[in-house]
Amino acid sequence: MGTSYIATDPLDYILAGNRAYQQRTTKRDPNAFALLAQGQAPEILWIGCADSRIPETTVCHCKPGEIFVHRNIANTVHADDLNAASVVEYAVTHLRVNQVVVCGHTKCGGANAALGDADLGQTLNMWLHPVRELRRKHKFELEGLPDDDARAAKIAELNVQQSIEVLKQHPAVKRAANERGLTLHGLIYDIGAGELKILSESGSKKMNGLWTPP
Amino acid sequence: MTGKEEPKEVRKYLQQSHDRIFENNKKWAEEMQKKNPAFFKDLSAGQSPEYLWIGCSDSRIPAEAITGLDPGEMFIHRNIANLVCNVDLNVMAVVNYAVRHLKVKHIVVCGHYGCGGVKAAMTPKDMGLLNPWLRNIRDVYRLHQAELDKITDEAKKYDRLVELNVYEQCRNIIKTAAVQQCWAENEYPVVHGWVFGFADGLLKDLKFDHEGQLKEIQKIYDLTKDA
Repeated sequence: MGTSYIATDPLDYILAGNRAYQQRTTKRDPNAFALLAQGQAPEILWIGCADSRIPETTVCHCKPGEIFVHRNIANTVHADDLNAASVVEYAVTHLRVNQVVVCGHTKCGGANAALGDADLGQTLNMWLHPVRELRRKHKFELEGLPDDDARAAKIAELNVQQSIEVLKQHPAVKRAANERGLTLHGLIYDIGAGELKILSESGSKKMNGLWTPP
Repeated sequence: MTGKEEPKEVRKYLQQSHDRIFENNKKWAEEMQKKNPAFFKDLSAGQSPEYLWIGCSDSRIPAEAITGLDPGEMFIHRNIANLVCNVDLNVMAVVNYAVRHLKVKHIVVCGHYGCGGVKAAMTPKDMGLLNPWLRNIRDVYRLHQAELDKITDEAKKYDRLVELNVYEQCRNIIKTAAVQQCWAENEYPVVHGWVFGFADGLLKDLKFDHEGQLKEIQKIYDLTKDA
């Protein structure tokens, strides 16, 4: 990983990658791009971390056109963030996705940073403030864990649950949950294993792995 | 799904489309392990991506897949119509983290022809919650009204607005203190504007002149002093 392009210009490297992708895709299905050009009808909105190690379409072995995506620092959904709210509005109201996934992950730099007191600069301090608040609220639970990796994993989970709570209040999500059974899902991606896990939330209604907001 | 199914059928369908992701993920993880047994162990040691990609949320443009990059190589932000808004803490946190902490060498803003967000912004219609976000694209139109109004072919006008939107977002990136200060010190990151076309599946380089634009921008937005 990440070594093959040292000899070449990094931009040429990805443009060459794009040409290879285009040729491979066209060879498999000559109409692939013509079909994609007609429009998108993804079933899933994925809200994940900007972290380079979790390319959603790749780790889910999906094809272009299947997952609508928002990725930001530490997969955080703030109630007052118009960026994420606009993505949710577009995906739910206009594209009519039926499932919204919030995916956190182990070894998250954002979660780690939120566990410490380092000054990350005003922009990041402000963005991560809600995650640091989680750390304060769950202080005893976090202190009881064996090491920093476990604490980072726990805060990643709490952060996913909090983002889901915020999403449940989004007007488009509320409406779609009532009218056509849109569901919300919390996931954790284990970077060291390459595996997705469903977060089981205690006290929530859980049916066959699906969690329907009340 | 046609929308006429019984509730039980809908549940079953949702369960299936949900489970498919997990089955696929397992398959993918196994394949990667087989190719390189240390793959996931190496990844858990940390990330040092060379690129920051700011692209559209559109499901048809998974950045890593269309550039042939492996996990770990590209830091990603995706939103509606690949916008970089000056007061948006979300994207500013991403740019800040990528530039100051990960020290990315390239920042790519990638738009795409046929963008639903750009199309919506060209439509005289109340889009509710989306209005303020899409207003940024209407602003791009206003900045380039002289050029765009001259284009009579609607499809061509739409394509051009997609390109101009990318240009303006590139400019917004170089207005930030993080990019200006890091550039002054290291001569990176370099900002690039690209457009992805579904017609051929290829990326088009809009040849955004990073250095020239930076100089131009800094006449007004210079944030390198007293850093």
